[in-house]
Amino acid sequence: MMEALNGLLTGFAVILTPSNLYLCFLGSLIGTLVGVLPGVGPLAALALLLPVTFTLSPIGGLVMLASIFYGAMYGGSTTSILLNIPGEAASVVTCFDGHQMARQGRAGPALGIAAIGSFIAGTLGVVIMTFFAPAIAAVAIRFGPPENFSLMVLGLVCTLFMISGSTIKGVLMMALGFLTAAVGLDVVNGRERYTFGSVDLSGGVELLAVVIGLFGIAEILSNVETMAKSTLLADRIRGLWPSLADWRASWRPILRGSGLGFVLGLVPGGGPVTAAFMSYALEKRIAAQPDRFGKGAIEGVAGPESANNSAVAGSLIPVLSLGIPSNPVTALLLGALIIQGIQPGPLFIAQRPDLFWGIVASMYIGNVFLLLLNLPLVGLWVQFLRIPYRVMFPVVLLLCVVGTYSANKNVFDLWVMLGFGVAGYVLRKLEYDLAPFVIAFVLAPLLEQSLRQSLVMSPDGAMILIKRPVTALLLAVSVVLTFLMFRRRTKSEGGLP
Amino acid sequence: MKWAGISYALVIALLSTSAGAQSDPKAELAKLKPKDFPTQPIEFTVVYPAGGGMDVSARLLAKHVENWSGDRIIVNNRTGGAGMVGHSYLATQAKPDGYTVGVIASLLWGDAMLRAQGRWSFTDLEPIAYVNSDALIWVGSTDGPYKGMSIKDVVNAAKDKPNTIRVAIVPGSMWEYILDQIEANSGAKFLRVPFQGGGAGITALIGGNVDIAQGFFSEFRGYLEGSKVTPLAVAAAGRMDFLKDMPTFNEAFGSNEYLWQLVRYAVVPKGTPPDRKAYLAAAVQTAMKDPELIAEYRKQGVFFDPKLENSKNLAADLNAYAEVERQFYVKTGRLK
Amino acid sequence: MFERTLNVFWIVFGAASAVYAWSLGMVGPAGPESGLFPFIASIIVSGAGIVLLLRRAVVAPDFPRGGGLWRVLGVILGLMVMAAEMPYLGFSVTSFITMIILLRTVDRSSWLSAIALAFVSTASVFCLFGQILGMALPRGPWGW
Repeated sequence: MMEALNGLLTGFAVILTPSNLYLCFLGSLIGTLVGVLPGVGPLAALALLLPVTFTLSPIGGLVMLASIFYGAMYGGSTTSILLNIPGEAASVVTCFDGHQMARQGRAGPALGIAAIGSFIAGTLGVVIMTFFAPAIAAVAIRFGPPENFSLMVLGLVCTLFMISGSTIKGVLMMALGFLTAAVGLDVVNGRERYTFGSVDLSGGVELLAVVIGLFGIAEILSNVETMAKSTLLADRIRGLWPSLADWRASWRPILRGSGLGFVLGLVPGGGPVTAAFMSYALEKRIAAQPDRFGKGAIEGVAGPESANNSAVAGSLIPVLSLGIPSNPVTALLLGALIIQGIQPGPLFIAQRPDLFWGIVASMYIGNVFLLLLNLPLVGLWVQFLRIPYRVMFPVVLLLCVVGTYSANKNVFDLWVMLGFGVAGYVLRKLEYDLAPFVIAFVLAPLLEQSLRQSLVMSPDGAMILIKRPVTALLLAVSVVLTFLMFRRRTKSEGGLP
Repeated sequence: MKWAGISYALVIALLSTSAGAQSDPKAELAKLKPKDFPTQPIEFTVVYPAGGGMDVSARLLAKHVENWSGDRIIVNNRTGGAGMVGHSYLATQAKPDGYTVGVIASLLWGDAMLRAQGRWSFTDLEPIAYVNSDALIWVGSTDGPYKGMSIKDVVNAAKDKPNTIRVAIVPGSMWEYILDQIEANSGAKFLRVPFQGGGAGITALIGGNVDIAQGFFSEFRGYLEGSKVTPLAVAAAGRMDFLKDMPTFNEAFGSNEYLWQLVRYAVVPKGTPPDRKAYLAAAVQTAMKDPELIAEYRKQGVFFDPKLENSKNLAADLNAYAEVERQFYVKTGRLK
Repeated sequence: MFERTLNVFWIVFGAASAVYAWSLGMVGPAGPESGLFPFIASIIVSGAGIVLLLRRAVVAPDFPRGGGLWRVLGVILGLMVMAAEMPYLGFSVTSFITMIILLRTVDRSSWLSAIALAFVSTASVFCLFGQILGMALPRGPWGW
C-alpha cells in the first residue's frame, strides 16, 4: 500500500514537467480527434505516430501514446451519438441508445454522460492499477486456453441477452458472425478456410470494414432514403447537461461498466471492444425494463462508455507488469518500448519505476485533461447537428472510406465495407439485430482457438474444462445464464419466437 | 584585415568540409540519388503486426535510413494470414517504382513454396540488403516439473513419456519443422500446442500452460532477466554471444541439420528501375553500418550472419538458403 | 415475400457452407479440425432459416421507391466508383469526382457548391491523413 503511494509520488514527480504534461495533453487531444473520426481508431493513430516518439524521451513518448489510446475511447462516442456511425469498434454499442437520445434532442446529456462516465471509469481503472497491478498480473498470467475459452463462451451467452427482437434472427446473426470470422487462415493448423484462392481473404475479414459497413454505411443509406431538405436529427436541442434523473439512472451502470471493463481488458482477446458489448448486455439484462434499450436508455450509453475506458487501464496491466500484450494496441505500445531500448517484462516495474509510475501518474492527469477537453466540446458537437445532412453525408462517407482504408491500406476492405453496408441496410429493414453478428465475429476466433488449444494440451481431452476451477466456474455460470435467458424469453414472448 | 581573416576561415572551412565529404557516407549516398526520386515518402512494408519483432527491426532500420538519406520513410504494416497477405501484396501488387521496400523475413520462402500455389514466387522480390538474423531458441520455465533440465534431458523425457510434454508451436513454419526433425531423430513425441506467434507461446509457458516454448531472444529477454525462463538450446550454427552458456541443437545432438533462423532482409518488387534499386540498396546498407543501429539490434538478440553480411551476391546467397529449406520440404513430403 | 426469399437464401447458404465445411474435415486426432466450427455454424444458419420460413409472422420491409431508391442506389454506386478507381486514379481525384457525383445527384446542389465542397473536403482529408498523420493514401498517375 505504502509502496504504491510512494511509487505514485515518484510518478507525479516525473510527469509534472512542462514537456511531459504537454505531451500528455497532446496525446489526449489527438486521441479524442482520432476517436471522433469514424474508423480511424487508436491502433491506426499509434502506428502512424510511433516514429514521432523516437525523438522524444521514453517517458514522453509512452505518455503520449498511452493518452492517445484512452483518449480515443472518449472521442469514439461522439459520432456514435450524433450520427449513428461508430468512431471506432469499441463505440458501436453507443450508437444503439446514444443516437436515439440524440434524435430525441438529448445529444447533450448523452455526450456528457459518456464523457463523465469515461472519466470516472478511467480514473477508477488507474486507481486499481496503482494498488494492485502486480498482484493482478500474477493472476492474469495463469489465464490459459481453457480459461479463455470459458470466458468467450460466457461472452457469447451474454450476447444472447442483448438481442433485440427475434431471438432466432439474433442467433442466426451470431452463427453468421462465426462463419465470417472463419474466413482466412485457421490459426490452429494454418490452413486456409473459405478463401477460395483469394489472397485478400486469406487475411480474414477486417473488423473495421465490417463495423463501418454495418453501422456506418448502412446508416447513411437509411438516412439518404428519406432525405428532407432540412437538418438531420433533432428539431430541438433540449439542454446540454444530463439531468438529475439521468444521473440517478447512470451512476450504477458507470460503476458496473468500470469493473466489468477493467476485468475484460486484462484478458487476451478482450479489450475495449468486448468490454463495451458486454457492459451493454449486462445493463440490458439487469434493467427493470429492458425494452427501453435501443430507444434511448441512458444506461446503454453510460455502461459501455465507462467499460471501454476502464478496459484500457486493464489492458495496460499485463503489458506493464509482465510485458504481455493482450490486444494489438498494447502490442504496439510494447514495440514502442522495445524500440526505445526498454525491455518490458516482470522486472519492468522494479527496473524502471520512473517509467511505470510515470505512466500511471500520467493516466490520472490524462483523464482530467480529457474531461476538460470533452465537456466543453459537447456544445460544439451538438452544433454539428445543425448542418444539413445533405451537405454532411458526403464528407462523412469520405471519412468512412478513409477510416476503413486506414486499417490495412487495402482497397479490398472498401469492397467489404460496401458489401456489409448494403447487407446491413437490407437486414435492418427486415428487423435483424446486427449487434450479435459483430460480437460473435469478435469472439469466435479466440473461442475456437482456445477450445482447440485446450483439447490439444490436455491429456484427457475435454475433462480439462472441468478440472480447472476458473474454467469450470465460468462454464457453469454460462449454462445457468442460458437457462435463465430462455425462461425469460419464453415468458415475455409467449412461446419461442 | 578582418575580411582577409574571414575569407581565410571560410576557405579553410570549405576545404575541410570537402575533404571530410570524401569519406562522408551521407554525401556518398547523395551521389547515388537518382534525379527526381524520391518525390514522396518511401514505404517500408512490414507484413506482421505493429509492435512485433519484425516491426521493431523495420522501424529501427527506417529511422536510421531516414537519418542517412534524408528521405521520408513511412513504415506500413500490411498484415494478415501470418504474413501471406503482405507477401502477396509485395510480389504481385506493389508498384515497382522504388517507393515500396519490403522489410521481410525468410518466412517468405515457406509462403512462396507451400502456400502461394503458383500465384507468385519469391523471385518476384529482389533482395537489396541484408538486415539481420534471428535464431530460434527453445526455452523452459524456471518453475514446474521440467525445471533445471537440459535440452537432452527434455528430449529424453519426451521419449520416455510420449505426448505429455507440451511445446508451443506456430503452425506451418519452423516452429513445427524443428519438432519434426527432433522427433524423427530421437523417437520422442511432444504434444504440440498451436499459437499465433512465438510471444503467445512464451506467455503460456510462464502461465504454466505449456512446458516448452520456442521463440526469439527479443520475445523472452524480459522474462529471462526476471528469472522466469531458462534458455535450453538454439537452432544456429554457433553459440550466441548473449547466451554463451546455451548450447546449440547441433552440439547437443551431434548433428548439423538443426538450423532454423529467420533471415531479415530488404527487398524491392521485381522490375524496379536499376538506379532507384541501387540507391535504395545503398541507403539501407549505409544505415546498416551505423554503429548505433548495430548496437540497438544487438540488444534485440539478433546476430549478423557473416556470410550474408559480406555477400557479393545477396540474391544468390539467399537463394542458396531457400534451396536448403526447399530440400527440407521435399524430404518431409510437404512439397513434391 | 422478400423475407421468405431471404429465409430460403439462409437455408441454401447454410447448406452450401456446411458442405464446404465438411470437406475441410470435422474431427481429427488432435480434436476438432478446421471444418467443425464452421459446420456447426452453417447448420444453425440453415436451421434458423427453416424455423423462420415456417413462422407465420412475416415482416414486410418498406423498401424505398422513386426518389429514395435512386438516392440509395446513387450512394452505393458512388462507393463502388471510389473502391474501383482509387488504385488507378489515386485517392484525391477519385474522391473529388465521387463527391461531386453524390452532391449533384443525391443532393441536387448547384455545380458551384458541389465543386467547392468536394474540393474542400477532399483537400482537408488529404492533408489531415496524408500530411499530418502521415498515412499513405493511394496516389494517382499524377503523383498525388
